[in-house]
Amino acid sequence: MSGPPGLLLDGLLALLLLGLAAAVITSREPLRGVILFIAFGLLLALVWARLGAPDVALAEAAIGAGLSGALLLAAARDERGEAAQPSTGRPGTVLLALLAAGFGLVLAWALAASLPAADPVRLAGAVAEQLPRSGVTNPVTAVLLNFRAYDTLLELAVLLVALLGINALGAERPAYGPAPALLSGLAGWLVPLLLLTGAYLLWAGAHAPGGAFQAGALVAAAGVLLRLAGVRAAGLPAGLPLRLAAAGGVGLFLAVGLAVTLAGNAFLQYPADAAGLLILLIESAAVAAIAAALVIAFLGGEPERWSPPRDRSRSGEA
Amino acid sequence: MSNLLAGIVALPLAAALPTLVWPGAGRPLTLAAAGLTLAATLLLLGEVAAAGTVTLVPGGWTTGLGIVLRADGLSAVLLAMTAMVALAATLYAGRYFAGDPAERHFWPLWLLLLTALNALFLAADLFNLYVTLELLGLAAVALATLAGTRAALEAALRYLLVGLLGSMAYLAGVALLYAAYGRLDLAGVAAAIGPEPAAAAALALMFAGLLLKTAAFPLHFWLPPAHGSAPAPVSAALSALVVKAAFYLLLRLWLDLFAPVAGAGVATLLGALGAAAVLWGSWQALRASRLKLLAAYSTVAQVGYLLLFFPLLAALPPGPAREAAFGGLVLLALTHGFAKAGFFLAAGVVQRHAGHDRIAELDGTVQRLPVTSFTLALAGVALIGLPPSGTFLAKWQLLSGAIGAGFWWPVAVVAVGTLLACAYVFRLLGHLFGNAVQPAGRRLAGEELPPLLLALAAAVALGLFAAPLWDLLAPLSAPGPRP
Amino acid sequence: MPTPQLIYLLTGCALAALGLFGALAHVSLLQRVMALNILGGGVFLLLIATAWNGPGAPADPVPHALVLTGIVVAVSATAFALALGRRLRETRDE
Repeated sequence: MSGPPGLLLDGLLALLLLGLAAAVITSREPLRGVILFIAFGLLLALVWARLGAPDVALAEAAIGAGLSGALLLAAARDERGEAAQPSTGRPGTVLLALLAAGFGLVLAWALAASLPAADPVRLAGAVAEQLPRSGVTNPVTAVLLNFRAYDTLLELAVLLVALLGINALGAERPAYGPAPALLSGLAGWLVPLLLLTGAYLLWAGAHAPGGAFQAGALVAAAGVLLRLAGVRAAGLPAGLPLRLAAAGGVGLFLAVGLAVTLAGNAFLQYPADAAGLLILLIESAAVAAIAAALVIAFLGGEPERWSPPRDRSRSGEA
Repeated sequence: MSNLLAGIVALPLAAALPTLVWPGAGRPLTLAAAGLTLAATLLLLGEVAAAGTVTLVPGGWTTGLGIVLRADGLSAVLLAMTAMVALAATLYAGRYFAGDPAERHFWPLWLLLLTALNALFLAADLFNLYVTLELLGLAAVALATLAGTRAALEAALRYLLVGLLGSMAYLAGVALLYAAYGRLDLAGVAAAIGPEPAAAAALALMFAGLLLKTAAFPLHFWLPPAHGSAPAPVSAALSALVVKAAFYLLLRLWLDLFAPVAGAGVATLLGALGAAAVLWGSWQALRASRLKLLAAYSTVAQVGYLLLFFPLLAALPPGPAREAAFGGLVLLALTHGFAKAGFFLAAGVVQRHAGHDRIAELDGTVQRLPVTSFTLALAGVALIGLPPSGTFLAKWQLLSGAIGAGFWWPVAVVAVGTLLACAYVFRLLGHLFGNAVQPAGRRLAGEELPPLLLALAAAVALGLFAAPLWDLLAPLSAPGPRP
Repeated sequence: MPTPQLIYLLTGCALAALGLFGALAHVSLLQRVMALNILGGGVFLLLIATAWNGPGAPADPVPHALVLTGIVVAVSATAFALALGRRLRETRDE
């Protein structure tokens, strides 16, 4: 939709976005703030879709609004019953507001001065030119998993560090009790659907919006749902298989990247005919790693201890 | 194209994975990885000395599409320093964490920290630098939480939030640069950049973020508590390496990218912040009641000395004088890295044996821990800048360069700062070497050796063997885009 | 003539400013974390808005990939910060 109706829609979205953000910033109660934040995230996903970024929209909805929201809700639940925290005193707040306003104005000024004269193509031309050799037809997947795959490798390492940091902090949150029948029944339907949709997004990411991160987020959502429904370890395998899954994302990525160097290529330089397959392989391992990391983040720590396989019988009980 | 660059990043990353899966194998695997990484960085140093720069584009894509990894003299020497300090700290950490339940968490995080450092020093792509900054920040905070005390956790949380803020400021700058110039690789943007609003705004934002991360006065408030309460090997890495990485990035962007935009005003501002940091940090170190706090404030001061070089470099035209100043800057960074790491590790030994690190109650430590006391003395020498330490040479370069360029205020600042450093080091040594009677001394324990070696490197080796460093760094001191 | 791009660029700047204010002014960890996420959202909006090429044309995929990476990094940091906050609260109650 373009022209005045489109502009009206965009204007409304922008105003809503700003309103929600302001509401989050100024809200006093943690729970209300979190719910407003989730709404903000979903609206942001809508804006991404409006700006022609469906991959980002999927990721924002699943990760930015969904999983972040779940994490924040769990944290707000922990904080429930605590006294509301005061903000800084009046003069300090005014100064900070001026600083923030200045920051926004500097950004706006810089963009206003540079965008009219800037080349609108930027790197898109190079992407379009090299896309046929990348092994996939979705340009965002091509950039993420081929042209700038090294960034994605490090990003998986970031997830791993967060996972390790959370584990080092201590035990997981207390589990939820067994859920009422409605939630359990719903979970029974939703979890397989989520897993199936995740698998589809992984497959489709090569030629349509989707990919490893969106798929991983959906699988993680299934895990969170299981946890909320009272399943003890959120369906995760305990001990060695879990650690292997978490390490496997980076591991496979590195293995592929280093293996191609044996053929005389640069690091992460996939041979053109095998690129599509290698990308799918890497993404599959990444889905497991992303899902494991995000679920453990929600659990708040290692599910039970890093225990030998004989404890798996306990986790299967609930 | 050299895959060695990828190897330097991949080595610690690959080693982190088995330590995560099999916690018991953590110590030997990490030691092996640290040793191999050191060998690789020395190899790289040789390659860079021969060829000038070494690049690699993972994926083989060029024309700005792929991510550029680049090693020149500056990054190669910093990589070598990182590998040496990391190896020494790894050796120490093996004994420090022995029997501690936190040990199995330490090794994978430590290796990921090394990965982040290596990746940062090699990155020549603006967004890749953002990812490495985030990886570095998260790994550093996670390691800092391993002490488990409430003070450590509070300091770690503050460090985390400050780091996230700094990274966001940096990312905003990257967004502006991409919008204006359409490239993400340093070389591509440097070729297109000019004195425009977008470049100036990006400079301000990125430098603000990096100054926050390098704990430049007055944005240093988060550092003393964080470095002061982390486990000893972590503090060593934080002060010697992590803070240095943010400073390196500041220097790299100022030299390679923002040369047409950053006028003398920016350099003078950085120098002024540096002067304040030297004075404030040294004064607070003098007043510090704990050994590790003294070391942390000393880091704030040393970052100040590094920042003092900026107005000097800005005022000197490309030539021998500028090369000498640049060499001094890097030498100071290297010496501080070794000295501070050695200091923190030795402080860890003292804390383990005395049960605390309150300076006033450390009288007569020399009798129980003679080697460690000597290590602290050597590290102190390197921190003050007595000959033949690298710091002495570096401060000499700073002073002679400043006088030659007509600045007198750096001379005063360095003089006062050095006096204060003498004061706080000698105050510490006075307690350590004091005459209170203590139980008989011990033989050299294994854990006392790594800090001793680090302090020796700082106090003696770097000063005496600085000449090859100068040759390696000379071509880099001129500003402008790199090939 | 305002375009959608202009609207969203201004929104991005405003969101970034709001987020910065929230991150600095608040004391509660939860609010700071949300504010940092909003700040991130603002910066991401700037990236995606500059990548937009009009209603019909395909957008520049590179900023999309960057923002995707940024979203994952943000959730990692958020998760870790919240876990750290929770552990701090536990040590206070001990």
